[in-house]
Amino acid sequence: MSLMEKPVFVDEKLQEVRESGRLEYRSRSLPTWCPGCGYFAIVEGLTHACNTMGIAADQSVVVSGIGCSSRFPFFVNLFGFHTLHGRVLPVATGIKTANDKLTVIGVGGDGDGFAIGGGHIAHAAKRNVDITYLLFDNGIYGLTKGQASPLSAIGLRTSTTPFENPERPLNPLMMLLSYGASWVGQSYAGQPDHLREMITQAIAHRGFSYLHILSPCVTFDKTSKTYTNLSMKVRRLPPKHDTSNLMEAMTQAQDLDNPAVGLYYQQFRPTLSDTFDQVVALSSGEGKGS
Amino acid sequence: MNTTDIQIALCGSAGDGTIAAGDILRNAVAAMGYRVICFDVYPPEIRGFGKCISRVRITKEQTYALKRQSDLLVSLDDSHAIPHAGEVRTDGAIVYESKPVAHCPEGSHMSGHILPGQIPYGIPLRELAEKATGGARSRNLVVLGVIAGLLGFSPVPFQKIIEKKFAKQGAGVVSRNLAGFQSGYEAGQNTFKLDNVFCVPMESVPAAGKVVMLSGNAAVVQGCMDAELNTFFGYPITPATTIMERLATAMPKRGRRLLQTEDEISAIAATIGAGYTGSRAATATSGPGLALMAEMLGLATMAEIPCVVFVSQRGGPSTGMPTKTEQSDLNAALYGSPGDSQRIVIAPTNVEGCYRCAGKAFEMAEKYQTPVIVLLDLYLSNRYETVTLVASGPPFNLNANKPLRRLEAGEQYHRFAMTEDGVSPRAVPGDAGCMHVVTGLEHNTLGRPNDSDENHTAMSHKRHSKLQGALQHPDFTVTKRIGHSGRVKVGILAWGSTFGECLEAMFMAHAEGISCAAMKVVMLSPFPIDAVTQFMDDCDHVLVPEVNYEGQFAQLLQGLLARPVVRLSRVPGSPMPVELILGEIRRLAGAV
Repeated sequence: MSLMEKPVFVDEKLQEVRESGRLEYRSRSLPTWCPGCGYFAIVEGLTHACNTMGIAADQSVVVSGIGCSSRFPFFVNLFGFHTLHGRVLPVATGIKTANDKLTVIGVGGDGDGFAIGGGHIAHAAKRNVDITYLLFDNGIYGLTKGQASPLSAIGLRTSTTPFENPERPLNPLMMLLSYGASWVGQSYAGQPDHLREMITQAIAHRGFSYLHILSPCVTFDKTSKTYTNLSMKVRRLPPKHDTSNLMEAMTQAQDLDNPAVGLYYQQFRPTLSDTFDQVVALSSGEGKGS
Repeated sequence: MNTTDIQIALCGSAGDGTIAAGDILRNAVAAMGYRVICFDVYPPEIRGFGKCISRVRITKEQTYALKRQSDLLVSLDDSHAIPHAGEVRTDGAIVYESKPVAHCPEGSHMSGHILPGQIPYGIPLRELAEKATGGARSRNLVVLGVIAGLLGFSPVPFQKIIEKKFAKQGAGVVSRNLAGFQSGYEAGQNTFKLDNVFCVPMESVPAAGKVVMLSGNAAVVQGCMDAELNTFFGYPITPATTIMERLATAMPKRGRRLLQTEDEISAIAATIGAGYTGSRAATATSGPGLALMAEMLGLATMAEIPCVVFVSQRGGPSTGMPTKTEQSDLNAALYGSPGDSQRIVIAPTNVEGCYRCAGKAFEMAEKYQTPVIVLLDLYLSNRYETVTLVASGPPFNLNANKPLRRLEAGEQYHRFAMTEDGVSPRAVPGDAGCMHVVTGLEHNTLGRPNDSDENHTAMSHKRHSKLQGALQHPDFTVTKRIGHSGRVKVGILAWGSTFGECLEAMFMAHAEGISCAAMKVVMLSPFPIDAVTQFMDDCDHVLVPEVNYEGQFAQLLQGLLARPVVRLSRVPGSPMPVELILGEIRRLAGAV
């Protein structure tokens, strides 16, 4: 699939964007990412989703960690909390616990989420905190100039693996599925339409939604997760994929060579807010279990 | 005037019910209207044969610390109690098992260790328990009965508390325990009494305010609830766990939320997340947890987010001595974050102070938009004191936020606007049109990353200067001088739980005619330099007793004030002995 199906003229495009109302969700700060970075598509996808869903900007918080991806809150016009490396999910959990009326979106990179912050994912998924977690996977540490990440491909040469990366990457979708995340999907920054749709669905889901976004780092990875490679390898989930079947989702998630995009698994179960309400009811002797 | 002042020490092995018996005893005497101060020492293991001691000091007027010498030692396990025989004063008594179940090798029975002048009460505790209840498990209740009978207390308050304590375990357990207590009570009443100093009945219950008995941690919880703590996140760690446990019961009943997180990093991260939304949020931990929270506390300083952290110190470094007390996390509390990250650190000195500091911490965190650390220690967290509650309701300000002005049309909100006092009006998610980003990066008034030298200098000044207001915080005792006024030979400067021992020592020194005064320093950061300097000006010698090896408070004083102080630093794992402080006072006053 080609990135641009028809030639786009800047003025025409600007006019369209202005009229759509999406600009309301863009901040006055311009992104600091390298030209061609997949993350531009994610900002575009999120602002599009907010616009489509009519999300109130002052009732929403974007929480990020540290890394290229985590500069994200500065580029959207929502409340933002740029926290510490790896701590997106516990901070987001605190925000949602204190005020569950807010739409809370966590964003972070693969190093932020699966290296330093890896311990938190299981617990956010287990508790079914009603937040959306957008994981930007470029398979590399970009902001520190190109070191290996837990999702770097085996054999990748980086500044910390100058001969080659000897370690196998983690399988994030398998992890999330086994942690009990109630919405698990994957998308690709090279397919902006699909990405928008998936972000919208992820936000709409009531519970912990995990969207894994494959996104090339054009500066520090010239060989592995590139647009060329990903555009060749990425496939759609089969049309008959059953999103309520955990085993089927896990089978699809095994395929790291040809990653499938789409919604892998969705489950409806009480969220963290629901369990708090249940505890409140039990403490006053009202509810007796659920 | 009769001056009831009895200290009882119960000593046994983990699993003997020593601490449970101490708990019933202190509750019963508090219900009678006596003032109590109690402290338990127990091993880090739940069973196994570690030593447990429960000490209860019973007085008519509130005292400040336990005495070094007990009036009555009760042994549930001679192997542990024998080394404590020496802590019983002359004319004091020791209660012990008179019919051990097996042959005792020489030297292993209490009877061989009672000193001349001490009164032995050998009582067949096991036999009494077996006769009354059919088993030996209720020996601790028998012992409790012996104490009550021996001292001439009414059995009724004890019976009421036993009924309440065991109600959940069924009528059988209650009646067995009552029977055990009764048989001990009769034995205690009927045995010989040589020394009537024990038997000073309380004439009437004093009625000034409502008197309750609380542990330091329970007082913290009461303070949190009265200050309308909204969200709490925690991870279990001795000796702070009971704060979370008590809140876990209290908060849902008021519709509030508590979450046990996966680690201390998440606990503080979620606390800061909740604080960011405007919720009154807190966490509680000990030294090892504080170390894990260091980075996040720096974020709260940088992003100017209110949050409250209760830190109950224990012996360190590392895992250290989890069930022993120490005051060695002062430096970590003051400085343990990356960069110039000053925050408010307050340390109560007694149980009543735990209540007040807990409530005021939320007020200060909100007012100055900063993390506030309330520094406790195991001795303060776990000790029980009778506290008089004021009838006029909770003395806390429930909204200390700086008012937020409505934005003009098209006006951009400056989250970190420069103001005279350094505090910027704070908008939280949900405030219309006030979208902004807070960050751990250095930022300008809008919250946008900015690392220019002018900006970093101005922002560093803003973050530090705003805290100075806390030194003038209304209704909050930053420092307090007690004792002789004017010029004194010896001045004691102390912080935290050790202050109680300092007061006891000071009053003993007064009785010996030594001129001395004490100042407690509750606020450790920002530091009340003026008040402390003024106090030091009045003293020939300044003595600084604290339970840590490095003399961390003395270092702080010397760093800030560059004046000589006399350090008294000890790490016994237990409170600073009063006699040690008194000895230093005498030495400095030239009385020896």
